[in-house]
Amino acid sequence: MSAKLLDIESLQAPEPHMHFERPGKTGLVDWLTTVDHKKIGILYLLSGVFYLLCGGLEAILFRIQLAVPDNTFLGGETFNGLVTMHATSMVFLAIMPMTAGFANFLVPLMIGARDVAFPRLNSWSYWTFLGGSLVINASFVFGGAPSAGWFGYAPLTGAQYSGSGVDFWWAGLALLSASSLAASVNFIVTILNLRAPGLTLLRLPVLGWMMLVIQFLLALSFPPITVGLILLGFDRMFGTLFYEVSMGGDPHLWQHLFWLFGHPEVYVLILPAMGIVSEILPVFARRPLFGQTAVIFSGIFIGFVGFGVWAHHMFTSGMGPVADAAFAATTAIIAIPTGVKIFNWLGTLWGGKMTYPTPMLFAVSFIPIFTLGGLSGLMHASPPLDLQQHDSYFVVAHFHYVLVGGALQGLFAGVYFYFPKFTGRMMSDKLGKVHFWTFLAGLNLTFFPQHMLGNNGMPRRIYTYPADAQWDLYNMLGTVGALIMGAATLVFVYNMIVSWRSGEKAGRDPWDACTLEWLTESPPKVQNFDFTPIVLSERPVWDHKYTEGMEIVAPAKGEHFHMPSYSWKPMICSGFVILLVIGLLMNTFMPGNWLWVISAVSGLGVVGSVYAWVSEPV
Amino acid sequence: MFRNTPVAAQASPLTTLRGWAQRAASSRTLTLLVPVVMGLLLAACGDGNHPRDTLNPAGDGAQVSAWFFWLYMILDTVIFIIVCAAMVVAIMKFSKKKGDDDSLPPQSHGNMKLELIWTVIPTIIVLVLAVITVGGVFQLSAKPAEEQKIVDVEVIGKQWWWEFDYKNERITTANELHVEEGTQVSLHLTSADVIHAFWVPRVSGKRDATPGRTYPLYFKPFEKGEFIGQCAELCGASHARMGLKMFVHPKTGPDSYDNWVKAQQAAARAPTTALEKEGKKVFETKGCKSCHTIKGVAELTQRSRTTGPDLTHVGSRSTIAAVTLENNVENLAKWVKDPQSVKEAALMTNLGLSDKESKAVATYLYSLK
Repeated sequence: MSAKLLDIESLQAPEPHMHFERPGKTGLVDWLTTVDHKKIGILYLLSGVFYLLCGGLEAILFRIQLAVPDNTFLGGETFNGLVTMHATSMVFLAIMPMTAGFANFLVPLMIGARDVAFPRLNSWSYWTFLGGSLVINASFVFGGAPSAGWFGYAPLTGAQYSGSGVDFWWAGLALLSASSLAASVNFIVTILNLRAPGLTLLRLPVLGWMMLVIQFLLALSFPPITVGLILLGFDRMFGTLFYEVSMGGDPHLWQHLFWLFGHPEVYVLILPAMGIVSEILPVFARRPLFGQTAVIFSGIFIGFVGFGVWAHHMFTSGMGPVADAAFAATTAIIAIPTGVKIFNWLGTLWGGKMTYPTPMLFAVSFIPIFTLGGLSGLMHASPPLDLQQHDSYFVVAHFHYVLVGGALQGLFAGVYFYFPKFTGRMMSDKLGKVHFWTFLAGLNLTFFPQHMLGNNGMPRRIYTYPADAQWDLYNMLGTVGALIMGAATLVFVYNMIVSWRSGEKAGRDPWDACTLEWLTESPPKVQNFDFTPIVLSERPVWDHKYTEGMEIVAPAKGEHFHMPSYSWKPMICSGFVILLVIGLLMNTFMPGNWLWVISAVSGLGVVGSVYAWVSEPV
Repeated sequence: MFRNTPVAAQASPLTTLRGWAQRAASSRTLTLLVPVVMGLLLAACGDGNHPRDTLNPAGDGAQVSAWFFWLYMILDTVIFIIVCAAMVVAIMKFSKKKGDDDSLPPQSHGNMKLELIWTVIPTIIVLVLAVITVGGVFQLSAKPAEEQKIVDVEVIGKQWWWEFDYKNERITTANELHVEEGTQVSLHLTSADVIHAFWVPRVSGKRDATPGRTYPLYFKPFEKGEFIGQCAELCGASHARMGLKMFVHPKTGPDSYDNWVKAQQAAARAPTTALEKEGKKVFETKGCKSCHTIKGVAELTQRSRTTGPDLTHVGSRSTIAAVTLENNVENLAKWVKDPQSVKEAALMTNLGLSDKESKAVATYLYSLK
């Protein structure tokens, strides 16, 4: 077939025309005031990796407790706190921010835009996320971690049964929810409105599409949980009775509100990883993604159906056979588009000419590992079987295969793949392979035996178990595996640090890739593109290099553009929002009613900073 | 929608297999994944005799679940093998080899026929599964016929123990459920505080015990013996210590269910030895009776969230503190003296009993067979 016709490096920048680069600060102030989607993306990614380490450490602690029967390393309350914080951290503070990091950094590049639609709102989202994450983790210092499980079933979260940890939990999650809502609106507008000429929706890369789908999921699924959290907060702070059974409140109300958020959330975690895999496989198989349109539509379909399956988390709650049957059927339907994706990835490999640098290893291993997790999910979609597997270690095995083997492996693949674009340097492939193989071994060693534990009747979230339950071998394997995964992740972090400082320099297009982000310099300039590219296919950069007549042509003269300047306002505004919430929290568990003053003053602060924000010249 | 280039033409399965054998020795390490995972899958199936093996059913509920497990397991294994085989063959066949030039593989974008095949076939499988599943759902939730003998028990989950109320037989017991082999059991589950879940893996799937609501769980045990279970919904600090046991009695003989009912209906045994009498006095004067009932000795008129187990026949139970400790005088004494040292955050009050008092009350309680 055809050889390379052109090199992307040879593309000449046009003569500079009028353009206003964003005036910037330097050092720390630059990071605090930045509205650049690339810098905010990196902040999200680094926060995500930090909380990945925190969540991993929490997991290792409770895995040590479970290593042997009748262990006394941790007590029940501490164990429950670590389990709750592990899940909360991994879902909300590790995978979601890492995803947000990719969305921030890559989406504008992929669509040929200079930034997101609302750069300052983007900054607000990040600082509010960071504040929310700190509020949740502050519980460790003030009165102990929340210990009612990450899905915090009422009435266990009530003031009668749970301490102040739950206050930090609901308030922090409410902040994260505000942050995600703002971000989702921002990205929906960005993707729909700021695409380069010729970049029709069907030419949008799969990762861009999956990011669009999850923004709709976030925008529509966070409201129910926010309502649920605020009702919970009212119950705890003001003694309302939304979940108080003795007064006619309904504990199932929480379950429905939570899972109406919780199940779409699962797709928020996995769809971006699927998008990343769909970007990586074609590059290293050196052929287009097989059935790209089918992959995109199955992602959209998963997003839609994802809103109709939530009560499959409640098959044991006694909803009755009609509801059980209905939700079993809708859940099983999800298997079809998921299967379509898997077969299309296989179709991409088939007939390619594959090489295996680290991102490709993670992307390829995503396929069988995620398939395994998906297949066990098919099992609990069937209520007669789920009555046994629900809340057992079988379910723990299932969602870790999907979220660690799926989402996290996908994100790892993405970090190795896009690192040169983020930093201008390659990550070490040697260390990457060490990371991949040890992580894969640890992953299977930890989570595979948990299927057997579930079949052998071990419920999840028990802090100890007697020797005669015969669960010791598989638990010991799980602990060893968790330590191996922990070590592998440290190798990954070490690799990032070393490569960032002294990795091999990367050009614009180190992987010989397909999509628009590889047209930019590594790392991209402030304005991303020297000119707005005109897109003729779904693989503009590839076709520029390999297809005659499809070259990207730089105009002779540059264009006029204007980048927004740095701003303190978003961070100040989110600071007041966070203070407002902290004021409410302090009022609930510290004596002295004057503390409401903090909330009142910060409420005024929010109004004031929004006013300053909107009247700020950009 | 797709630019059509038939992919199938790129390699026939036969040449693929021939090449596979030749290259097996030098194959990419990535393919190691598959045998490892398959081996683990096989290990998952044959796991010997386990006290809580959901796949070794002793009740009809667990039997239905196990049947569904094997149905899905076979199907899943077939699908998994197909996916892995396709992946392994692709890796063997379509990896860049040493000495290959940089020319591009065929740039096909998809194949409509294949898309249809792998959409329609899974759809049919899913539809068939859905029909079978719906059948199973209604089978498990079917209310037992009225005329037959039913063991009817109200189950109340409490932090962190179980109360079993046999309304018809007027028996109240704790943590150890007694039923009859081959007789329909109908449990009505509720909770006095937070949500719990009743689960005896070998006999039946689980059902939540939700405060303010009552949900049924029907099953019929078909094997005699003692089956262990525990709470399956996170319910607080001692969730792990909320065990339960199910005793399945034969229909006839000295160990029959009916004999157990009779023994439980009898009044509490009167103390005989001096120590037992002393223990009874401790029970009556030190505050035990503000939470516990012993029929004929002290009966509670009102029940609350913190009401403790009925102790009329506590000596007949095999374990105490919700299957945390074996039932004997020594353990009972340890438990009444300092409940929280046995079970974290236990709601039973530490009454500050002396060693002598706890020994006496333990001896008395253990005599209540």
